[in-house]
Amino acid sequence: MSGQTATSQFNFRQYAWSQFKKNKPAYISLWILGVLACIALFAPLIANDQPLYASYKGHTLFPAFSFENVYELELENGSVEKIQLDIAKWKQMKLESVLWAPVPYAPNRSDYLNSDYKSPSGEQYFQTPTGEIIDMPARFRHYLGTTEKGEDVLSGLIHASRISLTIGILSMGIATLIGLVLGALAGYFGDNKLRTTRGQFYTFIVGLVLAYYYAFMLRGDMLSDAIGTSGAALLLQLLVSILIFTAVCYLFYWIGKLVGKLPLLRSTRNIPVDSFISRMIEILISIPGMVLIISIAAVAKPSIVNLMLIIGLTRWTGIARFTRAEFLKIKNLEYIQAGQSLGFSEARIIFKHALPNGVAPALVAIAFGVAAAILIESSLSFLGVGVPPDVVTWGSLISSGRQNYAAWWLVIFPGLAIFVTVAVYNLLGEGLRDATDPKLKT
Amino acid sequence: MLKYVLRRILVFIPTLIAITLLGFVIMVSAPGDPVERMVSAAQSGGEIGSQTANQIEQKKFWSKKLGLDLPIFYFSLNTLAHSDTLYRVYDRNERNALSRLTSEYGNWEAIAAYYSAIDELNSAHGSIKVDSTMAMGYSVDKVKQDINQSYFESSALKATYNETVINAKLETLSEIYSAPYMTILSDKLDIVKEKLEAVRQTATPWRVFVPVVNFYPNNQYHRWIFGDGNWVTGKGSEFTKGVIRGDFGTSYRTKMPISEVIATKIFWSFFFTMVSVVLGYLVSIPLGIQSAVHKDSRFDRISSIIVFILYSIPGFFAATVLLMTFANPDVLHWFPASGVEPVRGFPEGASFFEVWSGRFPYLILPIISYTYGSFAFLSRTMRVSMLEIVNQDYIRTARAKGLSERTVVYKHALRNALLPIITVFANIFPIAIGGSVVLEVIFTIPGMGNEVFQAIVNQDYPMVVAVLTITGVLTLVGYLVSDILYAVADPRISYSK
Repeated sequence: MSGQTATSQFNFRQYAWSQFKKNKPAYISLWILGVLACIALFAPLIANDQPLYASYKGHTLFPAFSFENVYELELENGSVEKIQLDIAKWKQMKLESVLWAPVPYAPNRSDYLNSDYKSPSGEQYFQTPTGEIIDMPARFRHYLGTTEKGEDVLSGLIHASRISLTIGILSMGIATLIGLVLGALAGYFGDNKLRTTRGQFYTFIVGLVLAYYYAFMLRGDMLSDAIGTSGAALLLQLLVSILIFTAVCYLFYWIGKLVGKLPLLRSTRNIPVDSFISRMIEILISIPGMVLIISIAAVAKPSIVNLMLIIGLTRWTGIARFTRAEFLKIKNLEYIQAGQSLGFSEARIIFKHALPNGVAPALVAIAFGVAAAILIESSLSFLGVGVPPDVVTWGSLISSGRQNYAAWWLVIFPGLAIFVTVAVYNLLGEGLRDATDPKLKT
Repeated sequence: MLKYVLRRILVFIPTLIAITLLGFVIMVSAPGDPVERMVSAAQSGGEIGSQTANQIEQKKFWSKKLGLDLPIFYFSLNTLAHSDTLYRVYDRNERNALSRLTSEYGNWEAIAAYYSAIDELNSAHGSIKVDSTMAMGYSVDKVKQDINQSYFESSALKATYNETVINAKLETLSEIYSAPYMTILSDKLDIVKEKLEAVRQTATPWRVFVPVVNFYPNNQYHRWIFGDGNWVTGKGSEFTKGVIRGDFGTSYRTKMPISEVIATKIFWSFFFTMVSVVLGYLVSIPLGIQSAVHKDSRFDRISSIIVFILYSIPGFFAATVLLMTFANPDVLHWFPASGVEPVRGFPEGASFFEVWSGRFPYLILPIISYTYGSFAFLSRTMRVSMLEIVNQDYIRTARAKGLSERTVVYKHALRNALLPIITVFANIFPIAIGGSVVLEVIFTIPGMGNEVFQAIVNQDYPMVVAVLTITGVLTLVGYLVSDILYAVADPRISYSK
C-alpha cells in the first residue's frame, strides 16, 4: 500500500469500493443482480395474462393494475357484464385496443391448446377472438415452451425469481441479524468480561423461565388456535406473547439488581458468553445443513415463510464466526477503550461504534450465504419437501422436467436461471472478500 | 497431545447431548399421532365395541411400546392446575381436550371425575344386549341405530373442550335417551352432567397462573437414549435397548428396526462419497498446485473459470442434464437411468469381478455428479492455500538455496498447503451417512439419502431423527479426527495449553 493512502485521509469504505470496482466480474454481477431484482420486483407487470391496458366495449380497463378481482361493466343497453379478472379469457375477448405485458401469460395458468409439453421451436396454436384456431402469432408464442399442463415456462421462471430471491435475501436477513448480534456479543464479552452478581444472575434465570411460562406456555392454546385462523391473528398473538416475555424479563432484571445487594449473593461471577455461543455454533455446524433443514422442513408445514425461517435459523453460524473473530480484534482497539472510559453503555459501544467497523467480513459470508440459501431452496423444491406443491419455483420446474426427458426446456432454462443467480452471488462474495481483505492482495 | 484429545472428548459430550436433544425435539413435535399410525385403522362395524375394544388394546400396546405412556423429559414446567399424569391419556385429541378444560376451569380433580364419568357412559354401551325384550316393542334396528349414535356422540364428548359444543352434545344425548329403552344409559348421562356441573361450580382458574416444576427420572427421552431396561447395562429391556446401544426404534414405514435399515443402506452412500472424494483429491490437488504456482497464467485463468462455473452449478441440475443426455433413449442411451445394478440382480455365485463389471455402467453418471462438486470445492481450497504458501519466506529461501522448482513445490510447499485440505476430510463422515439426498433420489441409489427422503415423504419421523442424530455424532467424530490429524501433520500447532 502506498504511503499516500495511509494518511489520516484514508477512508476504508472508499478504498474497498474502489477495489471492488476494479474487480470487473464482481462489478458486472452487481449489475446483473440489479436486473434480477427488478425482474423479481416487477414480475406481475412483465409476465401476466391480464392486459396492462385494454379497451372493452367502450370501457378503459387496467386489469393488471387492478386490486379488485371483479369488474362490473355497465353496457350501453343497460345490462351489467361481470368480468372476473383472473379467470377471464382475455386473449379470446373482443378488445378494441389492448396493451399486453411483455410475456402475456401467468404462471400456474394452463393454455389448454398448447398443453402436453410444447417445445419452444415447435408448433403452437392460438385461438382468436372469433374462435378460429391458427398457428401461434409471434406475439403470443411460448418462447421457452410449456409444461405438461400448458403453463408458460418463461412466465414461471420470471415469477419464480421472486421466490428464490426473497428466500435468499430474507433468510439471510434473519441469519445476519442472529449472526451479527451473537458474534458481536461472543467476541466483545469473551468469557470473562461480562460480570454480574450471583443474585442477579440466578434471579434473571428464574425470570427467563417465568417469562417463558407466562408468555408462551399459558398462551399455548391461544397461539395454536391462531395458527389455525390466519397469519395476522398469529402475528398479533405472537406479538402479545413477546411483549409479555420482555416485560417479565425486564421486571426480573430490576428485581435481580435488588437481590444482588443481599449478602451471600453479592459476590460477582463471569457469564461465559463466548463459550455458550461458540458451543451453539459447534452444535449447529456438526449437523449437515441439508439433513437438518430437510428434517425440520419435513416436520413443519410446507410454506415459503417456514422455509425462510428454517434456512435463516440454521445458516447464521458462518456470519457469527466471522463477526466474532473481527470483534476479538476490535475490542482491544483504542477507540473502544475511549468509549469505555467515557462511560458509554456496552450496548452503545457494541452496536454503534464497533459493529459498523466489524461488519465487512460478515458481508462476504452473507453474499455466499445467499447463494447457498438459493441452492437449498431450489434443491428442496426439486425434492418437493417444504415447499407448497402449487407454488412454481425453479426447482419444481426442473423436477417436472424429470417426468419427461424429451422436454429439455423444462430442465435447461430453470437450471440456467439458478446457475446465473448463484454464480452472481458467489462472484459478489469473492469481489467483496478481495476488496475488504488487503492481505489477499499480492 | 493425549491431554488435548481427552479435553476435546469432554467438550464433545455436551454437544452430543444437545444433538440428541435436537433430534428428540423434532421427533416429539412431529405432526400426527404415532400410535394412530401404528394401529391399522380397521373399520368398526357390526357388533358395537368389539372391534373398537381391540383397537383400544392395540393403541395401548403401541403407546407402551413407543414409550408414549411416559412423561416427555426429565422435568416439566407445568401449571398448578394441570395434572402431571395427563400424558397417560394415550389419545392425543382427548389429551388436548382435557388440557384445555383444565386451563379453563383450573380444577383437575373435578375434570378427571367428569372424564371418568364419560368413560363409564362409554363402556356401558358394550354391556347392552339388544334383543326384543330390551327393545320394548320398538324395532331392533332402530334401537341399534340409536345406541350406535349415542356411542359416537359420547366418544366425541371426550375430545370436546368448547363449552357450547359440550352443551350441544349433551343436549343431543338427552334427546336420544328420552326413549324408554335407554334408561340404563340416561342414568349414566345424569352422572356426567352432575360432574360437569361440579367442574363449573368448583372452578379455580387462579391455579393456572401458578407454575410448578415436576421431575421424572423415567421419561421418553431417557428411554429413547438408554432403553427401557437397566440404563447402564441395558439388561431387562423389553422394547428398546436405547440409542446409546444403537437401537433407534422401529420405522413407521417398514415396521423394521431402524438400525437394520441403516445397516443395509449405508454401503452405497459410503461407497459414492469415498470414490468421489478420492477422485476429487486426485484431480484437484495437482490442478490447485499448477494454477497457484503459475498464477495469472492462461492455464490458471481458464481453470479458475471452469472450476468457478462447476462450483455454481447446482448438483441436481447437473445430474438431471447428465441423465437427460446420456441415459435417454432419444438422445444417447449409453448408461442405464436408475439404480446401482441390474434389476434382476446377479446370478448365484457371481464372482467379485462379474458383479462390479455388471454394476460399472450404473455407477458412471452418479460418480461424475458426486465428484464434480467436491472437485470444484477442493481445487479452490487448494489454490488459495497454495497461494498463501508460495509467498512465504521459507519458500523463497528454498529457491535461493538453488533447489529445483519441483522440490520446492512438491516437498516444501505442498506439505503445508495440504493442511486446510485435511479439514475437508472431516466432512466425509457426515456426507457419507446423510448421503447426498438429492443425488441419491435422482439416481435411485439405495442409500441413506434416499432412505431419508422416503422417510420424509412417508412421515417416518423416527427414521429421519435417527439419521440426523447419527450424522451429527459422526461429524463430531470427524472433527475430532481431523483436529488430531492436523496436529500430527503440523508440528507448529501445539495443543498443550
